[in-house]
Order: sequence, then C-alpha cells, then structure tokens
Amino acid sequence: MGNKIIKLLSSPKLFVYSLVWLMILVVVGTVSQRDIGLYASQLKFFSSYFFSFGPIPFPGGRIVLALMLVNLVSMMFKQNLWKIKKIGVIIVHLGGVMLLVGAGMTAIFSSEGSMVIEEGSKSNTVDDYNITELAIIDISDVNYDQYFVFGQALFKNGNNLMHEKLDFDITILDYMDNATLEPLTSPSGIQFRGMLKNFILKKIKRDKDDMKNRPGIIYQVSGSFTESDGIYGLIFGQSVPATINIDGRQYVMNLQKKKTYLPFAIELKDFKKVMHPGTEVAKSYSSNINLIENNIPRPVLIEMNKPLRHEGYTFYQASFIESPSGEETTVLAAVKNYGRLFPYISSIIMSIGLLLHMLVSMPNLFKKSIK
Amino acid sequence: MKNLSVISISIIASTIMLYSSLSAESFFVSDIPIQEGGRIKPLDSFARNQSLAFYGKRKIKHENLSAIDWLLNLFTHPEKGLDQKVFNLRNPEVVNALGLTWTNNFHKYSYNELFPGIEKQLPLIREIFEKKEVDRDVFESQLVEIYQNVMKFREIVSSLSCLLPLFSVYDSDLATNLHVEPGQLISYAHVMSHRGSLFETSQGIITKPESEWSVSEKEIALLLYNLQQTSSDDFAKALKIIPPSKNDSSGLWLSPWELFDGRLIEPHQDKIIKSLESYLLARFENNIENQNIALSSYKTGLISHVGKKVDFSNLSKERWLNEADLFTNSLVFYLLGFILLGISWMIKPVVFKNVAFCSIIIGFCLHTLGIYLRMVIMSRPPISTLYETVIFVGVVIVLISLIIEYIRKDGLGIFIGSISGSLLHYVGFGYAADGDTLEMLVAVLNSNFWLATHVTTIILGYGTSLMAGLIGHIYLIEKIRVPKDSVRLKSIYNNMFGVTLIALFFTLFGTILGGIWADQSWGRFWGWDPKENGALLIVLWQLMMVHMRLSGLAKPDKFALGMVLNNIVVIMAWFGVNLLSIGLHSYGFASGIAVNLILFTLFEIVTGFGTYYWAKSKNKVSIRSNN
Repeated sequence: MGNKIIKLLSSPKLFVYSLVWLMILVVVGTVSQRDIGLYASQLKFFSSYFFSFGPIPFPGGRIVLALMLVNLVSMMFKQNLWKIKKIGVIIVHLGGVMLLVGAGMTAIFSSEGSMVIEEGSKSNTVDDYNITELAIIDISDVNYDQYFVFGQALFKNGNNLMHEKLDFDITILDYMDNATLEPLTSPSGIQFRGMLKNFILKKIKRDKDDMKNRPGIIYQVSGSFTESDGIYGLIFGQSVPATINIDGRQYVMNLQKKKTYLPFAIELKDFKKVMHPGTEVAKSYSSNINLIENNIPRPVLIEMNKPLRHEGYTFYQASFIESPSGEETTVLAAVKNYGRLFPYISSIIMSIGLLLHMLVSMPNLFKKSIK
Repeated sequence: MKNLSVISISIIASTIMLYSSLSAESFFVSDIPIQEGGRIKPLDSFARNQSLAFYGKRKIKHENLSAIDWLLNLFTHPEKGLDQKVFNLRNPEVVNALGLTWTNNFHKYSYNELFPGIEKQLPLIREIFEKKEVDRDVFESQLVEIYQNVMKFREIVSSLSCLLPLFSVYDSDLATNLHVEPGQLISYAHVMSHRGSLFETSQGIITKPESEWSVSEKEIALLLYNLQQTSSDDFAKALKIIPPSKNDSSGLWLSPWELFDGRLIEPHQDKIIKSLESYLLARFENNIENQNIALSSYKTGLISHVGKKVDFSNLSKERWLNEADLFTNSLVFYLLGFILLGISWMIKPVVFKNVAFCSIIIGFCLHTLGIYLRMVIMSRPPISTLYETVIFVGVVIVLISLIIEYIRKDGLGIFIGSISGSLLHYVGFGYAADGDTLEMLVAVLNSNFWLATHVTTIILGYGTSLMAGLIGHIYLIEKIRVPKDSVRLKSIYNNMFGVTLIALFFTLFGTILGGIWADQSWGRFWGWDPKENGALLIVLWQLMMVHMRLSGLAKPDKFALGMVLNNIVVIMAWFGVNLLSIGLHSYGFASGIAVNLILFTLFEIVTGFGTYYWAKSKNKVSIRSNN
C-alpha cells in the first residue's frame, strides 16, 4: 500500500498533469490581469489554495505547487533513480525542490510595502501595498497618542471590534475594495455622523490598476451613549480625518494602508532623475538618503538596480512623485523576504545538474548519422 | 569541400579587411557627430532616420539620392527642398483632407504641396492633440504624424540657414568692417561675428528719416532688414551638432542657431561653425578640395572641445554599418543557400549542397559582424530591444543549424538555417522600419550585467526552442516521406530531443536569472507579471514534454508535435504578452502584430496536427500492409 502511494506520488505522470494544470492557471491568470488587474488575479489564481469558477471549486496555485513539491520529494525515494548515469537528473530535481521550498517560504513569510518620503523629511513606517487597517487614535494626552489598530481581516460585515481601553464599540457595516464619494442630494438619515452627513460612500468596480483603488469603510460606533454614537464612513486617502469626542477624550479615525514600524528611519536628502540628453527617456533615478539609527545618520545612495539592504529589509527605488511646484518625493519599495536566497542557490544547482545531464546524454543524441 | 572552405574563409577575411579599412584618420561629412535620441551618432544615421520618417525609406529612392546627400542638399538649397516630393502619404483619406489628389501609384508630396492643407486643418489637428494617443483612430494619428513630419522638415530645412551665403555688401567701408570684399556673399553667422560697430551705426539711422539716408546707410538698413528676416529661422533647433560649452553640466548639444542667441561662443564652437560654413560654401561651389579642408578643420574643432570626448571611431563604425547594410546582405546569402540546396536536391550533385553550406556560413558571418558592431557602438550587450531579440534569435538558430549540418551533412541544417535565418531577417526589417534601431534604454534596463546574463540567456532559450520546433516539423514531414527509414527518423528525433534539452537549460536558467534581476531591482523574485508568466509557460511546456517522454505519455511523433506547438508558446511569450499592454515589461510596440500572431498560431496548429495525423494514418496503412 505504502509503495503504491509512493509510486503514485512520485510518478512523472502526476508531474505532467500538475504542469498542465499550472499552465492553465498561468494562462488564465495572465489574461485575466487585463480585466481585474495584477493583484486581484494573483490572489485569485496563484496565491490561493482554491478558487471557484461559478459554483465549482478548482485547485489554486499553492495546491498545485505543493503537489509538485510532494511529487519531487517522493521521486527521491525511487530505487532506480540513484545511478551514476542519472547524477545530473538527481541534481536538477534537488534544485527544483529548493526552488519550490523557497517559493513557499516567500509566499508565507515575506512582506512588501512602500515608503513615501518627501525631500527633506523622514519616515520610519512602511505602508503595505494592499492591506488596509482602521486606526483609532486617542489624541487626548498631550505627551503621547494612543493607537488602536484593527486589520483588514476583521472587516467582515457585522463584525464587532472592541478594545478594553476604548470607550465605544465598532460594528463593521460595509467594506469596499474601491469606493467613491458622491454628494448627497437629499438630507441624510439622523443616524449618520461625520462625512456621511453630506456624502454617500458608494462601492465602485475594482480598478485594474491596483494603485488607483481607494478602499472605503462604513461602520457603526455604539456604546458610548453620547451624541457620537452613529454611522461613520471613511475612505482611503481622505484629506480631513474623522474625529469624535467622547467624555472629553478626542479620537481620530483613519482608514490607512497597514503600517509596519521600523527600528530605524530614512531621511530623503535629495531625489535625482537623470534623462538621456534631449529626450524624455529616463536614464536613472536615485535617492540620496540618510539611514538614521539610534540618532546616528549614515548617508546612502539608493539607485535603480542598487537597493539598500538593512536589518532584513531591502529598499528599492520604485517610483517618484513630482509636485507642480517642483518638490520631489521618492517612493521606495520595502521588502522583507526570508526566502530570497533560495532562487539564487537553486538556479545554480539546477544549471549544474542540467549541464551534467547534457554532458552525459548529448554524445548519444548528436551521433553522426549512419548511412 | 576543401576548396570551398578556402573560398568562404577568403570572403570572411575580405569582409574583415574591408571593415578594418575603416581608419580613424579619414573624416567624412557623414561622420559629423550629432546628438539625437539621447546619444551621439553620425550625421549619416540622422539623415537616414529623417528620410525614413518622411519618405518611408532610408534613401530617396525615386531620385536615387542617398539620405546624407538629400539632407545636405536641403541645407544648401532650401527652396528646392521645399518642392521635393519626400513625404510619403499612405492613406487617401489624409490626402483628401489636405486638399490634394490621391494618385494611384506614387503617393509622394512636397512640403509646398502639403503646407496649405495642413494650415487649413489646424483646428482639427489641435482637437486631435487633445485626445489621448490610444483614443485616436488611424486617420487621426496619421494626420498628426504628417503634421509633425511637416513641422520637423521645416525645422531641418532652416537649421543651417544662418550659415548660408545670402547677403552681399557693396559699400567699401561696410565691407571692410565685415572683413569681406565688396560684393562678396556672406552669411548671417559671418555678419554676427564681425558685427562690431554695426549696431551702433544703426542707432543713428533709425533716428533719421529715410529720405536723408546716405548710400552706405541705406545698405546697412537693407542688411539689418535681411538679418532680421533670416533670424526668423532661429526656431530651427533640430540639428544638435555643436558640443556644449565646458561649463555645461546637462550634456545637451546645441544647434547652430542656438549659438546666436546672445551667448558667449567658445573657441571650439566657433571653429566648428566656421568650418561648417566653409564646407557648405565649398559644396555650393562643388569644390571637393575645399570641402575636405573644411572637414579636417571641423574635426580639429571637435577635438579641441574639452568636454566629453567625441568617439570618432564609433562614428565611422556606425556610418560603415549603415552603408554596409550587413543584415540585408546576410539575408541574400541565406536565400542563396536555400536556392542552392534546392538545386542540389533536384539534380543531386553534392557540390551544390557544399556551396549552399558556405553561403549560409557567409550569411552567418555578416549577421554576427552586424550584431558585434552594434554592441561596440552602443557599448552594451547584444540584446536590449525587441528588434535586437529578433536579430539575435536569427543568429542563434543559424549557428545551431550550422552545427547540425556539420554533424549530419545531409542538408537538414542548411534547410532549417536558411529558412529561419531569412524569415527572422524579414521580421527584423519590419521592426527596423520604425526608426533608429540603436536606441537608448529606460532606467531599469540600464544595466549591462543583467542585459548580458538574463536577457541573452532567455533569448538563446527562445532561439533554441524554435529550433527544436523546426526539427519537430521536419521529423513529422520525414515520417510521412520516409516512414520506414527508422535510422534517419531516430537520428532526427535524437537531435530534436538534444536541442530541447539545450532549450530547456536556457529558458529555465534565463527565467530564474530574470527572477533574480527582479529581486535585485524591484524587490520580488516573482510577481506573476505577463512577461514573466510567458517565459514560465515555455519552461513548463518543455518540462511537460520531457516528462511526457519519460513517462511514456509521448512517443516520438507526439513529442515532435509537442515541440511544434511549443513554437506557439514561444511566440506568444516573445511578442504576445505585449498585446496585453500591461505589466512592467511592455517595452515593445504591439500594433499590427496581433494578426501575424494569429496567422502563425493557425499555421502551426494546422501543419502540426495535419502532419501528425497524416503520418499516423500512413503508419497504420503500412502496418496493415505488413500484416
């Protein structure tokens, strides 16, 4: 029985079928980027265990890749593999195992986001690209602000968010991936507070350019038994944050991209864009920064293809913003990835294996034809 | 065979000698450096690019005029140039909109013919400019294109008018002030550099009524009037041939007209502008000797420029590359090889096949020399644009074909090499028709290390994959033609599998290298971007074929069919993902390519499955007849 399972799991046929399914996923996942954008497509087809098409569930990228990993590992237990003639094949497959293990680690443990810094200012936070959070900030104390942060995973309709130190409860009424504000034409209901007194927060179709999506949230504040109880709405990137007063304490509420706080800060001294002379084609972008740790600044130059690596984080020159008044803002991509060395090692191993295999088999394949 | 190798070696040697005859000493007018598209190139390339943009070809064919001569004639005889029919209009709708008549065979129009129509359509053109490029229809984008071309042409025509001998003075005092003989023709530039007290004198004239002007004052007034007329050309800044001043940090070169905007002209700039003026004069008078003197003094001016040095050997290399047209010549030899192979099949003497082999070798050498020169001129690895991928895949396939031919000696390699080499040259010419093929790169591609490793490897992968597919075709055809020659079939099958392994090596390694580059510059190894997915699909497909063979799911016929279909995957990854116009890799143009892709896909499906089932049915018949 055990043998049979190993035989099935290690069969090259299983590998072929997984490959076929993976190819279908890749094609569908690529073409659908046209309509739903890269991030949504990646979530649905590649970073998922299952996805459904209509009522039928299908295995997603993670299941297929995991199956391929199992297939590769169990192949190693085959008796007839361990022959000197197959040394190349063995090495290639070991490299393949490493590549998939690395992919798994990256999928589970890596995080990426962006850091937006204006010239002359500094930052120690990384904003996630996609995941949002609801921040309730108690600003009543002069000396410090107290943050209560609820992550996007909690934004399910009807979910209650509470904290012992918060004087009120929050009930999620609606969360929208992409929303827009429209002015109200008729007077709002009396239960609405803040922005929703004058505007209506409306769900719109996800933009395929993920950067253009502005998530929105509608939630109910209750339990304070004051005027502040009621329904509130927030939209990502709104210029004036919502505030409420409860029993003399003042709270700011904000829907923001998930923030990670770094043990160091980055100060942008100068952002530079160099064009090929006389053209609109950019030759290079670079950010001249100070890496500030324990109040000691260290000058660093981050360029295209030349990132800064520090404490497990890597900072890349990703983009920039130019204001009409000429102020420049750099956008750095910040990535933490424990699996990043795996592709490097596995590519070397796989290449060596393939080369060995070719050395063994090529003379036979290119024999002079006998006439 | 020995004789033939001698011949081919001698031809290769002569090409190399021809190339090394490029001495850095001689400096031609077509070598004059000019800044265009972010780099310094010879005037010859500039002229060809303009001719291509206006006329649609790299020379003015119907007048049998080279691009550089056409350009220089424009400078010396602007009025004639405005009447020269150099604008190629492809769309009768545009022609009618400009108030012209569409003739059936010759759609060339002159500036003077086009300009009145353009002027009338200005409101419409302005409206089109308001629209985004993607929203414009064919008529609108062509109208805008012709408008821009006409404006650019006007600018080029006027760009050296400041150096043309247009004025003469007869008053002896004035002539002495301007350092000329009375009656001698002089240029705007000459007057400006010797203007001295001219403008102070002119102050006196303005305050007097015209009737009281003396003869010499009248002449000054006329000269000033003419100067002003000419200076209306000072918008013409297209010809960036003057190296910047030594204090300039922007790296921007200047056009002659820009020198006369009141700035301080540095010695090297003065020397260049004066030499160019005397060159134009000598050309005007058809005086070859004076032209050469002027050019050598032009070169002295360039050398005395203290900024970033001008690389004269690169300029002459590029000019030589333009003239030699290596890829067209290489195509000729590939086609010749194909014809000779055909002859050898029909009348069977081995000698024709050997000559065909040599012809492919010569074509391959020209092809490689062209790629090598492009690398030297741009000082970067061979592949950085879509055009270059096409040229490089061509050379890779021909090289493998040559190796296969060398081993097999049965014409198979010549057949594959000549067909694919020629086809890819044609595709390349299609891309070259878009403009200068030596382009500067956007920031993220500006990394010679990764261009050399990832890009080259992946393109080698494309080439070898296509090669495996071609052998797949041949295998299926041979299976129909000689189903019983199992030795031959087996050897072709083995070759195909060998090439597939090489292809797998390059595509796999190239894709992973691409991931590593992405990790280095964007922070993620893999982002499911369309181009990445395309490359991945090739790898997966080839992995699938290799494992299908291993597990017995694919017998030789099916394997051959699989590699034929792999061609579709390769072409989709190579060109198709650009059609999605999303993702970080959309570096190529996609317009017009969709139809070709669909045709190619249909062709591969029909021929692949067609030959596969034909071979199968034939096999069945032969088995039955054996029974």
